[in-house]
Amino acid sequence: MRPALESTKVVRRLLATACSAAMALTLTACGGDDEAKSKGADFSRQDAFPSTYKADEAGPVLIRGATLLTGTGEQLNKTDVLLKDGKIAAVGEELKVPKKGMVVEGAGKWVTPGIIDVHSHLGDYPAPAIESSQDGNEMTAPNTAQVWAEHSVWTQDPQFALALAGGVTTLQILPGSANLFGGRGVTLKNVPGRSVQDMKFPGAPYGLKMACGENPKRVYGGKGTLPSTRMGNVAGYRQAWISAAAYRDKWESYHENGGEEPERDLQMETLAGVLNGDILVHNHCYRGEEMAIMMDIAKEFDFQISTFHHAVEAYKVADLLAENKVCAAMWADWWGFKHEAFDMTEANIAIVDQAKACAMIHSDSAIGIQHLNEETAKAMLAGQRAGFHIEPRHAVAWMTLNPARALGVDEVTGSLEKGKMADVVVWSGNPFSVYSKAEKVFIDGVLMYDRDNPERQPHSDFELGILNAEGERLPEGGQR
Amino acid sequence: MGIKQAFKIGAVASLVSAVVAVPLATAQTLLIKDAKVITLGDQGTLQMGDLLVKDGRIEQVAEDLGNLNADLVIDGRGKVVTPGIIAPSSELGLTEIGAAASTNDSAIEDVSIGAGFNPSVAFNPHSTLIPFNRAGGVTRAVVVPSSQEKIFAGQGFAIKLTGEFDSIINDALVQKVYFGEYGAELAGGSRARAYAQIEGALAQAKEYADNRDAIRRGEWRELDYSIDDLESLQPLLTGEQPLLITANRASDILQLLALAEQYKLKLIVEGAAEGWMVAEQLASARVPVIVDVMGNSPDAFEKLGARMDNAALLQKAGVTVVISGPGYAGSHNSYLSRQGAGNAVAYGLPFEEGVRAITANAASVFGLEGGVLAPGGVADLVLWSGDPLEVTSYAELVVIDGKPQSLVNRSTRLRDRYLHPQSGTGHGYKK
Repeated sequence: MRPALESTKVVRRLLATACSAAMALTLTACGGDDEAKSKGADFSRQDAFPSTYKADEAGPVLIRGATLLTGTGEQLNKTDVLLKDGKIAAVGEELKVPKKGMVVEGAGKWVTPGIIDVHSHLGDYPAPAIESSQDGNEMTAPNTAQVWAEHSVWTQDPQFALALAGGVTTLQILPGSANLFGGRGVTLKNVPGRSVQDMKFPGAPYGLKMACGENPKRVYGGKGTLPSTRMGNVAGYRQAWISAAAYRDKWESYHENGGEEPERDLQMETLAGVLNGDILVHNHCYRGEEMAIMMDIAKEFDFQISTFHHAVEAYKVADLLAENKVCAAMWADWWGFKHEAFDMTEANIAIVDQAKACAMIHSDSAIGIQHLNEETAKAMLAGQRAGFHIEPRHAVAWMTLNPARALGVDEVTGSLEKGKMADVVVWSGNPFSVYSKAEKVFIDGVLMYDRDNPERQPHSDFELGILNAEGERLPEGGQR
Repeated sequence: MGIKQAFKIGAVASLVSAVVAVPLATAQTLLIKDAKVITLGDQGTLQMGDLLVKDGRIEQVAEDLGNLNADLVIDGRGKVVTPGIIAPSSELGLTEIGAAASTNDSAIEDVSIGAGFNPSVAFNPHSTLIPFNRAGGVTRAVVVPSSQEKIFAGQGFAIKLTGEFDSIINDALVQKVYFGEYGAELAGGSRARAYAQIEGALAQAKEYADNRDAIRRGEWRELDYSIDDLESLQPLLTGEQPLLITANRASDILQLLALAEQYKLKLIVEGAAEGWMVAEQLASARVPVIVDVMGNSPDAFEKLGARMDNAALLQKAGVTVVISGPGYAGSHNSYLSRQGAGNAVAYGLPFEEGVRAITANAASVFGLEGGVLAPGGVADLVLWSGDPLEVTSYAELVVIDGKPQSLVNRSTRLRDRYLHPQSGTGHGYKK
């Protein structure tokens, strides 16, 4: 039930780029990436600001005898995981201890894939939140598809490290929801980077942020411009897709028939990238009937919506989501802060999941992102109380594999499967307990966070000399 | 309606394995058998104990009360009883939808300093937030106004979460004031101005108290504040009413301690993200704090020292710690103080102190009934499916004033309507 992302072009490119990023380590698995190149117009401009992320070299890591939630529906007790060359090399019993490298004794501990948050604004709404640092919402026109969230990311946002301590290995940074078309999102590995390109997930497709409902009509209605109503919103989307289709056709015609090269238009490039399947739509949309309309618009203009975000009423259209292969990203229990968030049920994720649609947790919060395991646990409990048989081995995918699908990176991360990126969390206990903590977080096999070792806890520039000129923001051993 | 719904939820998810002799809401006596009972009182924690409720009060707590006759007997094996959760600072009954102005009664504009504002007449016991939080184990709450104009927000009151018209239990309970960054913004741009406004108001309230008759006759210098406001500040000066004031930065907290010392105020500090830095001073001044445990991000310059073990460090230093719901959740999810307490325990707060921080401490700080399970005390309690601070346990039974409450709310109603899609008559015809 891969949703939304059947574009084999995207998947091929992802695998090819992921392979090259891992350098020469696994070249055998990386043949034949020539066909990955798009023919015709390059609307997504994947290489304009290319990923420069390279995982440090790391010795092999054997996590021995832990309880594994694989993300693929299995719970494996007393099982080993071997990380090697940045990949998950093996999952099984009694794996051989590598000659060099690291052994993590897993007795009593649980292991999950790295947590993936499909909806974050870290870096664009960094801490501390002051006027000059609020770079997430280009609130100047209903269509700002030309802006890219990555160009706002403050890589020194101390909140990245807090999310890492919560087990988050991959996250999508989205522009805010003021606009019908907010701009492009970017998928990052949760690693320190001097430039945002040092954090970019190799080969991950771009996302286009769209927004339904109250926000665009409030922001622009307040200025006396279109849209001021939900029907104005929809007119705005459709008008833009008409223009984008014309733009795409112009370029395709140029590539097929030659002639004068058309002028580039950044806004149209992003929208055309959606129409040709290179850019994924991430649509802030709360209400059931609005989601239904958005799926109709996608049919009218022949594109695919990847995921509805903040989908508080997804449970009302769970069958439609399944039928249209659209994912829903939801909170466990947020509600009531606005009218479109009023019809909340805690069983939302479970109902969408049981309807065979692709359901996931998401945060949209610098605090929530640190506790997505707890949020998933609450959603799982609500499903159990609704009478569904949902166990941790199943629910874990709501914070790992399903968000990976929504981002178009599930071929390479999101589950504990051989050959995938070694994005792995070792938990002190059952990750669905409030008392459990991420103890060790590996990204591409590198120990990026170790709760027991302050040397393996990243500190951004911001943390230095804060509160104590000669020290760091918190004293040694301070629990961030 | 409440009775039927209470049964419905029980039937749907087999929540309460009870021998139900009479309808829940009319039970006069209630016996819980063989549960782990966390009393937070003299009896400590009973690993397996019985608890008898009679006429709204706790009659007895003991390891074994035998086979007493009760209107409702509940098998508590494997389950945990605690006092009901008390929300220390909420807008329950004053708000419905955050972004819908017409549904919000918690803040006003254009008053001199706002200290006299008392929103208790605006309280709506039928708010959808009340049954939702009650189902999460909240039995009482302190409801406080907020402010978008002046640092004085006005008077708070306390409620029971029964949803009845007589829910208000303590009116004019507390005065809410903003200090720190937000207080500075409201006061005109500086903490210094905010401090001067508080200090000035208190000084004039004192002046007013000493010269009430002359002032009322108009034979006194003109004061900056209205009679109404000055009157409403009097209980602060006499120590009858606590001052609930927001502050996060360590230096801000110290300023407030000095102010409290000067005017002999009963201070409660809300926020206290950097409280751990001045924990000793808070403890020796006996000033309690209300903390948002989850708020560990340095997302404001006044919270640069925010950290996950703040509650643990404060408690260790001897400060009375009350845990609120996470800031991002607001009043709609006040019950999530339970998740906050769980996180505080994960980061070093002793377990029982975690339970205390969402129950007994809130009761003692605000002078409310409840918060402990002791013979003679009010029977506000929750039977949890397991560890009360764990995100995978839930309230199976919520009792207020000895009466089992309905756990049905919009969340469960919507869930049940959409749970099993049926063909034929549309969902609009389902209840």
